[in-house]
Amino acid sequence: MVMNNFEHELQRQLDTLPKEKQPQRDLWKGIELSLEAENPAESRSGLHAKHIALAASFALVAMVSWFTFKPIEPQTHDSLTGQSLVTALSNQHQQQMNALLVKFEGQPAVTENWQQQLQELDSAANAIKAALEEDPDNTALLKMLQNVYQQQMMLVERVHAPKWQQI
Amino acid sequence: MIEAQASVVDASETFSQQKEKSLIQAAQKGDKHAYHALYDLHVKRVYALCYRLTGDRALAEDATQEVFIQLWRKLTNFDGQSRFTTWLHSVTANVTVSYLRKQRGWFQRMFNIEESAAEYEQAESSSAEVDLESFIVRLPERARMVFVLHAVEGYRHEEIAHMLNMAVGTSKAQFHRAKQLMKEWMGYGDE
Repeated sequence: MVMNNFEHELQRQLDTLPKEKQPQRDLWKGIELSLEAENPAESRSGLHAKHIALAASFALVAMVSWFTFKPIEPQTHDSLTGQSLVTALSNQHQQQMNALLVKFEGQPAVTENWQQQLQELDSAANAIKAALEEDPDNTALLKMLQNVYQQQMMLVERVHAPKWQQI
Repeated sequence: MIEAQASVVDASETFSQQKEKSLIQAAQKGDKHAYHALYDLHVKRVYALCYRLTGDRALAEDATQEVFIQLWRKLTNFDGQSRFTTWLHSVTANVTVSYLRKQRGWFQRMFNIEESAAEYEQAESSSAEVDLESFIVRLPERARMVFVLHAVEGYRHEEIAHMLNMAVGTSKAQFHRAKQLMKEWMGYGDE
């Protein structure tokens, strides 16, 4: 009986659930910026051109990633261990982030809350660094820290770079 | 009199559909003003679905933007065989699920966080004052997505399982879980 009443009430609520909801901010501006970054004529041309563009983008991203992340690779820190490795990683990451932020300074971002997301990743990095202070040679924690740093850089690039570069 | 009113409603409906059709055709040819008008027509519906799927206002806003950015690219795939709103809902659900997976991905991989703490909170409402929307966003993530896709959007469990990359049985179990939590929150606990 209780179940029947519940099912009935749930269905009644589902039937009256509003189909629409108003977003609290203007979303069109961000969409328009992304669309402007694309060339409609190009995006609507044949598959062949699309594949060439895709391949070119992939090659570009691969090259940029190679040069951007190369300094973080462990072989450059062969002589470093424990806390000194964490410090070196953090310093290099800070330099790379500064360079990225300077590069995109004044450029509009696709989303408005990217700085908040960046801060959340910062908090995650700080939590991992605190754990590393207790256990400086824990490779799993070091990899997590590296991953968070990479997420931060990808976030900054993703919100500033045109969509076709985000592949 | 009633017949006259019905034909006015029909005419209004036909006019809206024709307007939408011409906007779609113009946007398919690259007309961004037409696309903006199409956005104005549908943004509230898209946002409502994004909000229910993500359970978070900021994520829903970002997902809505992602939907309309991807829709611009996919618009030429719309052949007019089905209703535009049906097609748009399908695109919205798929893009939002994919967006959420990307956003949550690394956190879950790193810390194995799967569920929100909301389900453990004390229910405050009773059946006399039900706000289904707030209950939906309180649901744990997987249960919420399955509930919204099945109960609100009408997808079959087989389709949901494919979209969410889970077994059909898992989809059914998550739906059952969502309903059990709602039952409790709505004041229909075991008696």
